[in-house]
Amino acid sequence: METSFAITGKGYVIVAADTTSARSIIKMKSDEDKIKTLSPHLLMAYSGEPGDTVQFAEYVERNIRLYHIRNLYALRPSASAAWIRRALATSLRSRKPYSVNLLVGGYDTSEHTPHLYWIDYLGTMSEVPFGAHGYGAYFALSLLDRYHDPEAPLEEGLATLRRCIDEVSKRLVVTPGKYKVKIVDKDGVREVEL
Amino acid sequence: MQHVAVPHAQPQQRQFNPYSENGGTILAIAGANFSVIAGDTRQSEGYSIQTRYAPKVFRLTDKAVLATNGFAADGNMFVKKVRQRLEWYRHAHAKDMPLRAIARLIQTMLYARRFFPYYVYNILGGIEEDGSGAVYSFDPVGSYEREACRAAGAASSLVQPFLDNQIYFKNQTPAPGTTHPAHLPLSHVLSLVIDSFTSATERHIEVGDGLEIYVVLAKGSALQGLDAIQGLSELTTTDDGERMFVIRRNLKRD
Amino acid sequence: MNSLVDRFSTTSAQSEIRRAQALAADDEEFSDAAWGSEAGFGSLAKGVPTFSVPSIADPSAFLRLHTDDHADPNCRIKIQHGTTTLAFRFKGGVIVAVDSRATAGSYIASGTVKKVIEINPYLLGTMAGGAADCQYWETYLGIHCRLHELRNRERISVSAASKYLSNLVYGYKGMGLSMGTMICGWDKTRCRVPAVFYVDSDGTRLKGDLFSVGSGSTHAYVSTAAGHRDAFSGNTCNLYHIKEDGWHFIGNYDISKMHYDGPGDVPGGPGKGYGYDIRVEGRSSANPPPVAT
Repeated sequence: METSFAITGKGYVIVAADTTSARSIIKMKSDEDKIKTLSPHLLMAYSGEPGDTVQFAEYVERNIRLYHIRNLYALRPSASAAWIRRALATSLRSRKPYSVNLLVGGYDTSEHTPHLYWIDYLGTMSEVPFGAHGYGAYFALSLLDRYHDPEAPLEEGLATLRRCIDEVSKRLVVTPGKYKVKIVDKDGVREVEL
Repeated sequence: MQHVAVPHAQPQQRQFNPYSENGGTILAIAGANFSVIAGDTRQSEGYSIQTRYAPKVFRLTDKAVLATNGFAADGNMFVKKVRQRLEWYRHAHAKDMPLRAIARLIQTMLYARRFFPYYVYNILGGIEEDGSGAVYSFDPVGSYEREACRAAGAASSLVQPFLDNQIYFKNQTPAPGTTHPAHLPLSHVLSLVIDSFTSATERHIEVGDGLEIYVVLAKGSALQGLDAIQGLSELTTTDDGERMFVIRRNLKRD
Repeated sequence: MNSLVDRFSTTSAQSEIRRAQALAADDEEFSDAAWGSEAGFGSLAKGVPTFSVPSIADPSAFLRLHTDDHADPNCRIKIQHGTTTLAFRFKGGVIVAVDSRATAGSYIASGTVKKVIEINPYLLGTMAGGAADCQYWETYLGIHCRLHELRNRERISVSAASKYLSNLVYGYKGMGLSMGTMICGWDKTRCRVPAVFYVDSDGTRLKGDLFSVGSGSTHAYVSTAAGHRDAFSGNTCNLYHIKEDGWHFIGNYDISKMHYDGPGDVPGGPGKGYGYDIRVEGRSSANPPPVAT
């Protein structure tokens, strides 16, 4: 079962996604990276219909990159999220919509604030302090209601994320297995091992 | 025995649908020493009115009243069976069954049809052995709970929120230095019941025609202004002390 | 020889009696006990009660057609359903916490349901799934626990009580019962420890330290947020503590009040609301660099 989480903290966003790629009941791959770096301060975790996911993520990636090349500065997180949502909403009204759920996390370098957007395949978007997709959300969201701290330093944020992952592997029937974890803050994007 | 040859006789299964929905609404409110059980008298199926007077509220004993709502045929059958059991109890014990026992009896009778339910929502109102007013509400298969008030049937989603606000004082803040009363006086309860039904008649097509309000008074309690109400008649049959009245009113018939 | 004639003759006195007996047995769904007060649960002591079932090929499909509101939200008979229930074992006994909301479809049928069923002074059962199924069978279980006491001069163990219930509902498997319950208590005899058993209408019976049952259970497993994450849960929370001397009712807490104001002055309490927005009020993730002076 695909699961992705993201949480904000003091000056950063952590985005985590499981690394399994499944087809029917078969695990095809166990080190798939489902978090794209869209710009120097922007991450996007994607999950959903196999095929659609990568197609849509690459489409978004190229367009955000094009904006950066044309304007010499990157699109800010709020504007990127709005554009991505609009892309999904347009797709939904087409003959063959993309069925992709997203978590867009970024650091706005001009106002020094991390932003996280929860977007689903219907084009529903909301800015959240933490978010999750997949079956893991049923466990993670209420855990984060209780333990998330908007001012938590990075170490604390990672510890909270670890609690989410542990809870999901404890309670979910089909455990997603390993996770890839990426951080975006004022210094840009980097990957960490949990 | 003669065999009739049926060419290509195949086993057939038709859809078995022994239920209908006959509209209407019932409602009961418990006071400190009284209980009020009411229902409208319209019986309908779909958009057509079958009759303008089909009672949904029934006297069981001098201290218990049962209101039924849902599928009228099931409801009438169920009341008949409850009354039969209460009569047997009277013959065996030479007294009326206490209210809480009637409530449990109704649970077991409904649950006996767990796999072929009566499509009936029941509300039982009356006086407990300790003299307090009580209301018990049931789902079709017998889960039940004692409450202070309950509305069921077609307009339950219109009436219940009104009752929550006016009886339980939900979402109301008492004026500084005061508290909400735990029990309301009879005259106040009666006007709430009448208002509930006139309003439900205005907004729900399945409610209207007539209103029957049963009032059960505990032993030794005064009439509390009941005698001034128009359309009142007394139904008390025993001299146990509890008194039962019914108020019959008209509701809009359009 | 005489007995043989009696058995098959149609005119003898015995056959008359036989016919009368057959007639009496035929039209009676009630036993003679129904004439007295034994007609209710009283007669159940002799065995499992009887239920009427529609005479069609597939009675459970009939039941599903008319009562299952997941398959068809427009179906007529809306049976009340329960939601979030939680129980766990610890050194000091068992804590049982349940919400109080009953829904019929999307209508909140009641906000004051007692989802903890007091089977007897030392056994509690919780209610998730069909409200009537839980209420009825756990009351029935209570009768049999008392009979066990009278017959064996010993309190029934939590394990035995839960197995009794489990075997009972397993007998109705596939008929459409819906219950997920936790039987909680403190064993007085033998092992003398608190115990929690999960029993459901599939026939599953599990011994464990912590269970959460119902649509809000995933949320309840990790925190107290079920009332706010699950629309089928809410209103108030009933809290029970089982100690060596039986269960104690701790209190009834308004879930919204807990969200906004917290539990009040209790040991280990947060001193304010549990709600996320209340808990983190005024805190910000913004990280502006220090202003140069």
